[in-house]
Amino acid sequence: MESLGDEPWDVVICGTGLQQSLLALALSRSKKRILHTDPNDYYGQHEAALTLQDAERFAAKYAASSGAGDERKSVLRNAAVWKPDDAEAQGLKFPRAYSLALAPQIIHTKSKLLSNLVSSRAYRQVEFLAVGSFYVYEPAKDGSDSKLSRIPSSREDVFSSQSIPARSKRSLMKFLKFVLEFESDDQKPLWEDQADAPLTDFLTAQFKLEDDLKRYVVALTMALDGKASVRSGLAAINRHLTSMGTFGPGFCAVYPKWGGLSEVAQVACRAGAVGGGIYMLDTSATLKPSGENEKASLELSNDITVQAGSVISGQETTTGGQAISRLVAVVKSPLNSLFQVLVEGAPTPAVAVVALPSTPSPIYALVHSSDTGECPVGQCVVYLTTLATADSKHELEQALAMLVKAVEGEESTSPCLYQLYYEQAIGDRKSTTEKLGTTSALSFPPLSVTLAFEDSDLEAVKSAWSLVMGDESDEETYLVFEDREGADAEDEIYE
Amino acid sequence: MASEDTIPVLKVLIIGPSGAGKSALLLRYCDDQFDPESSTATIGIDFKSKHLAVRGKAYRLNVFDTAGQERFRTLSTSYYRGAHGVILVYDISSRASFVGMEKWIDEAKQNAAPNAILYLVGSKLDKVAGGGRAVSYEEGQAFAEANGAMFCEVSAKTKENIKRPFVEVVDQIVQKPDLLAGALPRSNNTTLNIGNLGSDYSSACPC
Repeated sequence: MESLGDEPWDVVICGTGLQQSLLALALSRSKKRILHTDPNDYYGQHEAALTLQDAERFAAKYAASSGAGDERKSVLRNAAVWKPDDAEAQGLKFPRAYSLALAPQIIHTKSKLLSNLVSSRAYRQVEFLAVGSFYVYEPAKDGSDSKLSRIPSSREDVFSSQSIPARSKRSLMKFLKFVLEFESDDQKPLWEDQADAPLTDFLTAQFKLEDDLKRYVVALTMALDGKASVRSGLAAINRHLTSMGTFGPGFCAVYPKWGGLSEVAQVACRAGAVGGGIYMLDTSATLKPSGENEKASLELSNDITVQAGSVISGQETTTGGQAISRLVAVVKSPLNSLFQVLVEGAPTPAVAVVALPSTPSPIYALVHSSDTGECPVGQCVVYLTTLATADSKHELEQALAMLVKAVEGEESTSPCLYQLYYEQAIGDRKSTTEKLGTTSALSFPPLSVTLAFEDSDLEAVKSAWSLVMGDESDEETYLVFEDREGADAEDEIYE
Repeated sequence: MASEDTIPVLKVLIIGPSGAGKSALLLRYCDDQFDPESSTATIGIDFKSKHLAVRGKAYRLNVFDTAGQERFRTLSTSYYRGAHGVILVYDISSRASFVGMEKWIDEAKQNAAPNAILYLVGSKLDKVAGGGRAVSYEEGQAFAEANGAMFCEVSAKTKENIKRPFVEVVDQIVQKPDLLAGALPRSNNTTLNIGNLGSDYSSACPC
């Protein structure tokens, strides 16, 4: 243990959230001496995947409410777990049978995160699953029960759809064709002067889309406030459509098996370790005051003091502002009808996306089948998200019940076996940097809490990499690596 | 011989305390190398691949090293994903390394698939000649049996028994169809081939 304090660390990375972990991956082929710590005894921080035991500790740690005043507040707050008294009798399995993702973002197939993972050869250790259909919740009306309507998301899909009248199909096709090239010089004049206006108004004025179709389009933007602007909404739908089919038919996004971005963070940390980085979990690090001509000192919770050329961490607090509410629920039903293969040759999807109308902002549910490895067979995990209000916990619970009934029918009795609720601040999205003696320190903003992974979150990782590499940073080499393992050893045949 | 794409790939992990000789075992078995001077933590080895045939069938064995993450017990849960077998290594000349195996067995059982093969290896068998044995063969074997693991003692230095743990682990794996099922290429219709994005895009299978 002594040697840790003597080592002249080039960089100390505090926290194993996605961004810190990707930095460790990016530095894994450099000769930098790296110490990577995390205050928790698991990897991933705000992007971790939790067993039920972890979830209980997580809820206890972040149970506090945000409180009043304008002091900085914890990014995570108001956490609580709940289960029925007889949960085990009803089917809840042992705590490690579950892996609840704190970051269940879907990753579009065109995302830079995937190309980074491929070029750095880290992707081999991650199992990716397909994200399948997107649905809109339809409340009961005219004597028919509530149901989920699948959103057609390709032109073929629109053609074959039975639920859209022919005239509407033509408008929708015209819109889809436009979105595919909305940034071209031909199409820009159509929307540029109203780029910040609401997308729904634009859909009515330009494409005469009817209300049902508008709801489909708005749901596909996955805007948490349900009020996408023309610019952001068109960009989101363009991403959705152009990502479709990249890796195979029938899906536009993927999801890492076993707990989402947590897996990516762990695999990136492993790459950091293979490159010689030293890993310490369950160890917090506190900056000590340092003199003008000194390197930064960090005191670790095991009483060792280390010196670092750079210190990279993640912001744990924010200055108030908007937060989202998240409800993670284990449901005792596989909800199989959401995970059907609808296009020939498509992989079996493990994730379905459902938009439920609600005021003041919509509720989105990401439904994960047991193929994600996040729950036992015969159950599913539902991740519900909405903008936080005083009443959002209750609304998410209601939305969960509505969703299950819409899939299984009004008589459904599939119980919720476990719930984790928490609120997560959206934060101001900017890295902070400061000078500590001769040391540069950078702190990542919290990851975007959007439903789909945002490539803009990768920019801060690259900035941190440039900061650590200094004069040696050559952009061409950023996250571009050869495979590690040597050629196969000569074959040996045993009987 | 079957082409590379159709050979089942088996994932075997080596775990155990620092200095137990995990990397020496791996390097001797896969590359037939042994460096008596090397006592530092392992850098740069992710895993090593080796082809072997058991019961007349070819397999590719990927043996994963801990990459130093055993030092402060920071192996991630993702390291254990999809492992068909786990080889747990202690140093027969170190009482402390044997005593620590209890925790490593627990970790392996908690994180690896319930039907994964466990194999206990006592390393540095060459030290017996100099009177360096601190853990008897019987103790090792009894501990392995109590935990449903197989057992042998090896020396990476003299090569004694060096192939045995790997061959026996594979032999056990291939006799468990449910365990082997996940090793077959395209054995399920859910996991995707993201590598299509890479430089070999044009030659890759489009599925």
